[in-house]
Amino acid sequence: MYPVLLFKEEMMKRGLKFGCLSVMVLALVAAGNRPQEAAAAGGTVISGSVSVTGNVPAPAKIKMAADPACAQAHPDAVMAQDIVASGGKLRWVLVYVKEGLTGSFPAPAEPVVINQTGCMYEPHVFGIQVGQKLEIVNSDSTLHNINCQANTNKKFNIAQPVKGMKTTKTFDQPELGVPFKCNVHPWMSARAGVFSHPFFAVTDASGAFSIKGLPAGTYTIEAWQEKLGAQSQKVTVADGETKEISFSFAAK
Amino acid sequence: MKHTFLLTAVLVLTGTLAWAEPAPDLEAGKQAYMDNCARCHGPAGAGDGRDSARMFPRPRKLSEGVFKFRTTASGTPPTDEDLFTTLSNGLPGSRMPDFQRLPEETRRQLVQYVKSLSAAFKEQPVPLKFGTDPGPQKANLGKGKQLYTQLGCNACHGNLGRGNGPSAATLVDQWNNPIRPADLTQGWNYRSGSSPKDILIRLMTGIDGTPMPSYAEAVKPEEVWDLAYYVQSIQVEPRWSNKVEAVKETLGWEKAPRTDLRLSGNFYKDGQLLPVTARAISVQALYNEKEILFRLSWNDPSENKQAPADAVTVALLQDPKMKWRAGSLRVWPSANNPAPEITRWSAEEAASGSYQDGEWVVLVKRPLPAEKTAGFGVMVWDGGNSEQGRHRSNSNWVELILK
Repeated sequence: MYPVLLFKEEMMKRGLKFGCLSVMVLALVAAGNRPQEAAAAGGTVISGSVSVTGNVPAPAKIKMAADPACAQAHPDAVMAQDIVASGGKLRWVLVYVKEGLTGSFPAPAEPVVINQTGCMYEPHVFGIQVGQKLEIVNSDSTLHNINCQANTNKKFNIAQPVKGMKTTKTFDQPELGVPFKCNVHPWMSARAGVFSHPFFAVTDASGAFSIKGLPAGTYTIEAWQEKLGAQSQKVTVADGETKEISFSFAAK
Repeated sequence: MKHTFLLTAVLVLTGTLAWAEPAPDLEAGKQAYMDNCARCHGPAGAGDGRDSARMFPRPRKLSEGVFKFRTTASGTPPTDEDLFTTLSNGLPGSRMPDFQRLPEETRRQLVQYVKSLSAAFKEQPVPLKFGTDPGPQKANLGKGKQLYTQLGCNACHGNLGRGNGPSAATLVDQWNNPIRPADLTQGWNYRSGSSPKDILIRLMTGIDGTPMPSYAEAVKPEEVWDLAYYVQSIQVEPRWSNKVEAVKETLGWEKAPRTDLRLSGNFYKDGQLLPVTARAISVQALYNEKEILFRLSWNDPSENKQAPADAVTVALLQDPKMKWRAGSLRVWPSANNPAPEITRWSAEEAASGSYQDGEWVVLVKRPLPAEKTAGFGVMVWDGGNSEQGRHRSNSNWVELILK
């Protein structure tokens, strides 16, 4: 009954004939099995939390009535994720090294997975390395289109009509806040940070993050929230040191 | 690593070959662009030509390099041939004309010039494959219909293809402007061709800048020719005419000839043409000694009974010669021209109308015109598009003939 799915291998075969993306993919395969020596070297940890002050607007309730397949997946109300705060702590903040790194950091072989489930993206915010595979999965029995309106990277808008479909994409340039949306379900929204290194993290429900394995040095660490913008601070870490830092955003 | 070297070698080689081609004559292309394209697309391709505000859809911002109609993968630029096709065939349903009047050489120079306007063409096009057309005899429409639902076409285009799917109302384009899914029953209004091959290509490549995604990574082209033929099969052949023939009521609707009238809007707000929903209306008419009854049907993606309600107006000019004085419906009669007699129906008074799956069918009754011919015109409002007053779809004046 279902159309035969055309998987990533075939897309890659096609892609290989063209352009620099394919060169990236090859570089990735070559580097794939090497662990991130650079990441392991320093034994440092930069961790902390991100908080928010002021009046955080209550998240909007998402109406999924347009698609019964979505509504059925959620017995309870689903809230928008553009600002998620609990006890003054901010979730879904991307924290990363903005400046201070030298050298190059090959992309890990493990893909980042973004799952469409219950007509929501999981995760809502994620970091990914240049050249690292992004595996896009549809776990819903309904059509999703993945409309990625990147600025410096290639845009794409692809359909995943069938449950269980997977598509793999890569990004070839660093870019902050790459938006993903589904036009069929306009409430669906995800953001990605594409980095040339592996030193990034996303805050959890308690606003906490942890970036491990930076070489000793002085770095600019930035925290970015899709609605509240970015903040940065300078941090110096020595080998084996654990440094606690915090960020505080003001809600408008 | 060997493969990498090989690949690099191939890339360098193809690159060299591309450089070896004679440089396009951009000066000639630029001249032709200024003469033929800049008026809408703007002198630098920013989509801001002096006529641009008077159009909907708006002229493409060529400098941004997002092209709807390609044979290439989503997010990659079109081929030269794709641009040449759009330029040569135009885009029906928009104001983009075909440029057949220009010599082929000029059109090819234009293609090169358009490419020079955007950085998008630094990327290479990635042409897709479209399989083999099975032909109308072998196409399986039943399977195509199944695929229509399985692939989720109905989510936007609606069960019957009238552009009224549950997600239709919330769609926005890449620039966050509201956008409509195509009414697939109106083949004449498809921008880039309505043949099964055209449909298949749109399905595989997607329509960049719009919500229409590429299915190239979901299905193989061989699997969706049936769907392309099915979509073609739901197109309704329009019966354009400038005459509406009313027949005796005893003949009934089955024998009453149907006339299709094109509709368009011409209402401006802040210097910008406001888009309208209804692009065509079907008209039938029956009469007896006293009255004439019109059956009007048109596609509307949503049923709106609250203000602003969906509505239709029938206008009659008893003296058909007056239509020349009154001009088209777009020019409402002035003090010198008496207003035509009109009958307005609104969705609030739903007794004479019914809405089903994206279509309104409305009956409008009027006293029988005194003469055997009269001027006839219609106006349609889509409440779902906030249309009211002069923001509406108009037909031209046509001739009503009592047979």
